[in-house]
This record gives sequence, C-alpha cells and structure tokens, in this order.
Amino acid sequence: MSGLWPVQALTSYHLTRRCFRQERSVTQVKKYIALRFVYIIFVFLIISLLMFMLYNQIPTDPARMELEPVRRELKPAEYQELYLRLREQLGLDDPLLMRYGRWMGILPEKNGSWNGLLQGNFGYSNFYKKPVIDVIPEPMFNTVFINIFATIMALGITIPLGIRTAVKKNTRFDGTVQVISVVGYSVPVFIISLVFIYFFAVIFRIFPVMGMKTPGTNYTGLRFVVDRLYYLALPLIVLTFASLGGMTRYVRAAMIESLSMDYVRTARAKGLREKTVIYSHAWRNALLPVITVVIGWFIGIFSGSVIIENTFSLNGMGKLYIDGLNNLDYELVLAMQMFYTIISLVGILITDLSYGLVDPRVRVNK
Amino acid sequence: MNETMKKDKGFFLTRWAKRLFFGGGRELSFMEEEALQSPMRTIIKNFFSKPLSRIALGVFIAIFLFVIIGPLFMPLDLSYQDNTQKNVAPGLNMMSVPRELESNLRTIAPGTTFGAGLDKEGKVYTWGYTRITETINLAAIPPEVREARMVDLAVGYDHAVSVDEEGKVYVWGNTRLDQAKLSKPLQEALESGEPLKFKQLEAGNQFSAAVTEDGRLFVWGNSNLNDVRRIKKGYDTNIKKVTTNINTYLVLTNDGEAAYVGTQSNAFSKVPEAARTGVVDIASTGFSNAALKEDGSVIIWGNPAPAERELPPHEGKLVRIWGGRNHYVGLTDSGQLIAWGNNTFNQSVVPALSEGAQVVEVFSGYYQNYMLDSNGKLTKWGLKGYLLGTDHLGRDILNRIVNGGRVTMTVGAISVVISLIIGVIIGGLAGYFGSYVDLVLMRVAEIVGGLPFLPFALILSAIIGSRLTTEQRVYLIMFVLGILSWPGLARLVRAQILATREMEFVTAAKAMGVRENSIVFRHIIPNVISVIIVNATLSFASAMLIESTLSYLGFGISPPTPTWGNMLTGSNNSIIIQQYWWRWVFPAIILSVCTICINLIGDGLRDAIDPKSAER
Repeated sequence: MSGLWPVQALTSYHLTRRCFRQERSVTQVKKYIALRFVYIIFVFLIISLLMFMLYNQIPTDPARMELEPVRRELKPAEYQELYLRLREQLGLDDPLLMRYGRWMGILPEKNGSWNGLLQGNFGYSNFYKKPVIDVIPEPMFNTVFINIFATIMALGITIPLGIRTAVKKNTRFDGTVQVISVVGYSVPVFIISLVFIYFFAVIFRIFPVMGMKTPGTNYTGLRFVVDRLYYLALPLIVLTFASLGGMTRYVRAAMIESLSMDYVRTARAKGLREKTVIYSHAWRNALLPVITVVIGWFIGIFSGSVIIENTFSLNGMGKLYIDGLNNLDYELVLAMQMFYTIISLVGILITDLSYGLVDPRVRVNK
Repeated sequence: MNETMKKDKGFFLTRWAKRLFFGGGRELSFMEEEALQSPMRTIIKNFFSKPLSRIALGVFIAIFLFVIIGPLFMPLDLSYQDNTQKNVAPGLNMMSVPRELESNLRTIAPGTTFGAGLDKEGKVYTWGYTRITETINLAAIPPEVREARMVDLAVGYDHAVSVDEEGKVYVWGNTRLDQAKLSKPLQEALESGEPLKFKQLEAGNQFSAAVTEDGRLFVWGNSNLNDVRRIKKGYDTNIKKVTTNINTYLVLTNDGEAAYVGTQSNAFSKVPEAARTGVVDIASTGFSNAALKEDGSVIIWGNPAPAERELPPHEGKLVRIWGGRNHYVGLTDSGQLIAWGNNTFNQSVVPALSEGAQVVEVFSGYYQNYMLDSNGKLTKWGLKGYLLGTDHLGRDILNRIVNGGRVTMTVGAISVVISLIIGVIIGGLAGYFGSYVDLVLMRVAEIVGGLPFLPFALILSAIIGSRLTTEQRVYLIMFVLGILSWPGLARLVRAQILATREMEFVTAAKAMGVRENSIVFRHIIPNVISVIIVNATLSFASAMLIESTLSYLGFGISPPTPTWGNMLTGSNNSIIIQQYWWRWVFPAIILSVCTICINLIGDGLRDAIDPKSAER
C-alpha cells in the first residue's frame, strides 16, 4: 500500500512521458485523452461486473424477502406461485450478464423501465432502511473534508521539508529526516493512531479520544465548526504525520534529480541567487513528478481513510463501508465499492493526463 | 595466506554472505586482484558498506529467528483461555513472597495472579499482580484487617477472606457481588456471642466457605454464579474439610465421605460411589474434584482434562492431595511429592527436595505452588508471571507475539511469492513479446491495478471468508494479497525488459537460435533480477502491513489464530490504551520494528543496485 505505489507511479510516469513525446500534436493528445476515457469506462464495466459476480455469491433472495410480510396470509401453494411469479418479474432466474445489465442500467427492467446504477438507483440499504443515495452524502462530505484538510497540511510540511533535505543532502539533517521518514511510511497508520491517542488524548488530555462531536450537544454555526475541528484535530494530525514519510522522500528524490540538471548549473553560473535557483529553476521542474504523485496520493487516502475513520470512529465513508460489511448491508457496500472504483479510476486517469498537462515539452509543442 | 586472511576481514555477515554466494575464498594474485567484480558482488559490497543497512538486516534476522524458533519453545494452544489470568500486567513477581514472611510463615493463600500470606503474628501480606479492577486492589488491605491478628486467610478469584483470633470474619477486595454478604447461619453464629473457632477457610470464584473446629460448614458469596444458596440437609455439621472449584464446593465429612452439598445438579454433584466411603483427603481443581481413598487411590470426577487423571509413577501410597487450577499435587507416605495435570506453566514439575528435608505443608492454588519443608525453606514452582502480560482472554502476549509473528511473516512471504510469480511471468511476457500480447496483458494488469486495494480486499475477505474456517482464511488472505498486488511488479518488469531486450547479448542469443522462452527467462530475467529483488523486499513489508491492517479491522486473519495485526484489534479505546497498555504496545513495537527493518533493507538494496542513487 505505502511501499508499493510510488514505484508504480514512477514507471507509469516514464511510460506515459514516452507516449507523449511520440505524439506531439494537440489533436493527437486529444485523441489520446479520448481513448483513455473510453478505456477507463471499459475498465469500470469490467470491475463492476467482477463486483456484481462477487455480490451474487451472497445467498440472498429478494423475492422471498419481499413476500415475507404476506407469507402468513397465504396458503403454501399460493405462496409458491406468487413467489415464482415474483422471481420471474424481478428476473432473478435470468443469466448473470442480463441481471448485471439491469443493475448497471444498460438493459431495461422486465417491465421496460430503466432503473439501474446509471439512472441513479444505487440500491436500498437494509440496515438504514433508506435508499443508499440518502445514506451516503453526510459521510462523504466528512471524508472529503478530512482528506482535503489532511492533504493541505501534509503538503505544507512535506514540500519545504523535501526541498530542504534535497538542498542539504547527505548532511546530518538530511540523514535524520531520511530515517524518520522510513519510520513514517513503515509504521501502519493504526499504530501511529494508537501512539498519538496515548500521548495526546490519554496522557495529556488535549484532544478527545474518538467521535465527531461532544456527546449530548447540538451546536450550530460557529460553535459547531469549532467543536467539529476540535474532534477532528487528532485524526488530521495522524493522517498528516502518516503521509509525511512517503511524500518527503518523493519530493526529495524529485528535487535531487532536478538539482543535478544542467540548467541548474547554468543558473548558478549566471550568478543567480541560490533561492532563485532552488525555487524558480529546480523546484518548478521537480514539481512535475510531485504533482502526479500528490494526485495519486489524494485519491489513495479515500480508501486509506477506512483505517483512520474506524480507529477514531468518525462518521465517514470508510466507517460506513466497514459498518456495511459488518451489518451485511451488501447493497450499500456494493454501491460504495463502485464509488471507490470510480475514485480509483479517475485517479489513474487524472494522473495519466497530468503527466501531459504539466510536462513543458507538451506545452511547447502546442 | 595470512595477508589474504587479513584482507577478508570485515563485518562477519559480509564474509558469510561472500562465502554463501561465491564459495570459499580463492587466493588472488596481485595481478588479478579485484579487477573485475560481478554485479552481485558489487551490490552486496555496497549494501554492507552502509551501517544502517547492516543494522536493519541484523535486527530483521533476529526477529525472523525469534518467530521461527520461538514457537518450538512456546507452542500455541489455540483453544486456551483462562478468565482468571486476563489483563495481567507484565512482570514476573507472582510468587515473590516477601522475605519477612518467608521466615515467619503461618499460611499462604495462592490466588489467580497474586498471592497472600499470613505470618505467625497474624499480619497479612500480598504480592504479585493484585489489581482486580481500576479501583479495586487486593493489596489495599483495610485498616481493620491490618490491626487485627489473623489466624487464617484464603483468597478467591477477586476477593480475600480472613478470620482473626476472636473468630471475626473479614472480606476485602471486590465486594460488589455479595462476596462479603455473610450467610444467615454464619451471621447468627457470629452474633450468638460464643466465639467461633475456624478450622479451615476457602475462597472460590466470588464465594467463600469456612469449617469450624466443631465441624460446622458455612458458605456465602455470589449466589447467582455459584451454588451457595443452601447447604444440603444433614451436611452442615460433622464436616472435616471443604474445597472449592469453579462455581461449586466439595466437602469431606468426618465419616470419610466426599459429598457435594449444594442443591444444583451438575458434573460435580454426581459423586462417584467409590468416593462415598473411606476418603481421607479431597482436592479440587478449577474443573474437577478429587477424592483420596485410604488405599492411596485417587478418584477424579467433574470435567477434568485427560492429564488430570494420569497419576505419575510414585513410591508408596498417597496420603494428602492439593489442587491448583488444572493440576493436582500429592504427597506419599514415603515423603515424595508428585504433581500431575496441565503443565503449561511448569506447575506440574515438582522441584527436588533438599537433602534430608521433609515436606511440612504444601500450598497449591491456580498456577502457583509453595512447599514448606522441615528446614523452614520455602520452595516455589509454577507460574512466575508473564513477561509481556496477558490479553483480555488471559493468553500470554509473548506467546501470541511469537506465534503471531510466524503467521504474519508467512502470510507476507507467501503473498509476495504469489505476486512475484504472476508479476514476473506477465511482465516478462508482455515486455518481451510486445504488440498485442503486451496490450492484452497490460490491460489486465491495469484492471487489477484499478481495483481499490483496501476496500476490495475487505469485501473479498467478508464475502468469501465468511464461509471458511480460520485456517482457510489464512490462505485466503495470502491469495487476496498476492493476486491484488502483482500489477506494479509486472509493469516494472515489463519496463526493464523493454530496455534490456534491445541489448546486444539478446540479439546474439536470438541469432544463435535460442528458444524465445529461454531468452526471456534465462537471459533477460537474470538481468532484471535486482529490480525484482528490491521490489519483492519492499512489497514484503507492505504485504505485512496490509495483512495487519486487515486483521486489525477484523477482516483479515481471525482469532484465535494470532497475528500482529489482530492482536491490536479493539485497542482503539482509552481503557485499553491507558490501563492495559501492554496489550497494544508490544505487538505494535515488534510489527513496526519489523516493517521498518524490511523497508531499510529494501532501500539499502536499491541504493546498492543503483549507483546513481548512491551518489545522491
């Protein structure tokens, strides 16, 4: 999870860069983007089919569930007949692909209407007793808020730190940061959480241990925001801390590569101030690989927040997902799985495209 | 010769690795000295030149050996759990009897994780892990107990009971569940004004029993849990001895009858016919009762473990017996002391008596044994304590760390091997054959890579894992991790091969008519092996991390099989974090140290392989 993806991103980056170098004209870039788009949709369909097949492994019977309330009032023969008719109506005996098509909304229902995922029918949550679409918004808002906040905090720390270690490479400062960053990306997030809870919530009692708001209160307006931030502070600190390791190393590597380039030497030879050399010349060029990784990382914390949200019991997507799995609320889980898939695919797409967008060689050729 | 030996000096692991990979040292003449070095040799040399890599490798090997060899000495009993041992803090002081007591001993009452003793002046001592809950501590002896001169003492699961010279009864410790609520007959007897003379005091799981000199039996305590509401008619007098087990008690009458005098019917209430007459001594473990007959035979009933029925060979006949939690201790008429039953904590291994000494008294209870000999020397055997504490089911954390480490590492290693095999084959084929093979395989890789890792692993584990046994779940997790994590490696291998296949030696091999399979796997792959090794090392760490994350969330390997991850499940509440810190600190430390070391090794290898990165 943490150790793996920078390597992937790096290779993917090089491959795409090669691809962009080959196709230089704008139309070709547009064609490339369109192709990627079509391809992503194709991948989404395949993954959703896989998920649907997996979902069908769960022994559930919607027809029987629907008939459960009237079961007592019917004679067994009547019940059986009604049951079979309902199965037929719901199309439960059709081949998997047809059921998948209906669920996805690319095939019409038996009665001719279109009512699938693409039409906005995400299913019905058995646990919350309401449509999935009504369950998701609040947790999603929380998760997005947490992630954006954590990203801003993490970038605010890692970029200056990464640049500094690159400039002062092989010094004691650099070595210390290197070792700490290995610790940062080797230790699992839940252990970091436990340690932080121990120190900040249990020993020093600065922050609450878990939850989203002070129990029993119903604040509105500014007090609500302050209370919410107070409860989110510790998870945000943990999330930031956990991301420091990998990001710092990445910024450092990109910066070192950029500092070793000829244009940096030229800039220095021209007599430019060191600050200008570092920030205008080296850093702007190092930004390219960093941005792509930042995007990938931002997308990654959506699924990574499963751990943080469960440890601090925050009402976010990750907690909703785990609760859904624990409560056997599989329609909710399936819908959320689709959400994660889309997030992950869009992440790949944006990363791919951003290689081109931030690569000066592509811009020059416009 | 001597000079070459000197040159070979260096870190011992370097020498060892050299011997392993390149055979014994061949003497070099100065002409050919180190002119050429194989790439592998350079890598190893570079790797070991960094102190951080050396330390990381050393620590990792130490942890690895610890979890591979450790289980041989600490076998895992998956079904083991003991409520009496739960949440015990680290320490080895469960049998550290205070010195001033040892020399002036009247009686010892061995408890679950602690001990209590009484000296000849009637002063009460406690030792071991005496904390029952956050607020209740048995070591906090009430002032009235301190002031009175005690004559007898017994400790139960969470309370202590003692009587003083005037026949007054004291109870302290956990008294919230009627432990201190004396029974009506006892209250009446105490209020009658005539001082009671107690012969024996026993305490069990939240209940207590007492026998007076004139043979009266009193029982009191938590009657919801234990069979102490009433005493069977005709058995409240003429009693010689009482013993307690998990929720019931057993008496021995002066007529030599072992009797169950509660009112419930259970495994203990069916006293065997043979134990109804001619019994000289009785004893109870947690789950069984034993009666010793005049002829030295022992009758055991209840729910004993098989080992509790197997008496070891001994000389003479048994004359007295004592019971622990799940073992018995017996004394023969020739003065030999034997013990049998469960031996997890060495509680059934009796130390040899010192020369010329006679056994005076034995105090056995739970997992502790104390023996006082005629020289006044106190010998102890059994459970000293837990080095790293115990968890909420009374399981030894050290044992679970050792055995859990083996599971975690095995799962990590096998999943990496699976992902390596798939990744190398697919990456190799795609990179070498190019065109549509490449297109198809890389699209497959992208689909798998496009799956959101953690959510997908969770749902797989939840849906498939729900119908698997615990052992099958371990394999499931290995495969899920392996099958989901190969695309990164495949892409890496493909990229490397794209670069390598244009090189001259491949062209040469092709020109010589070497088969394509053979070119890929014998000419190209060895040249990209270094990248694969680095990647495998780093993915080993991340596989361990993901496994422990899944297990922590409750969707990985499920208890009772231990892993470093599932030992931390449920640790995210302030009570465990603060009060039972040993339950999360130790697994967290070893897991973190292990992954840090693996990542450092991986980084070191990468730097060693790529000279460019070493320059940085």
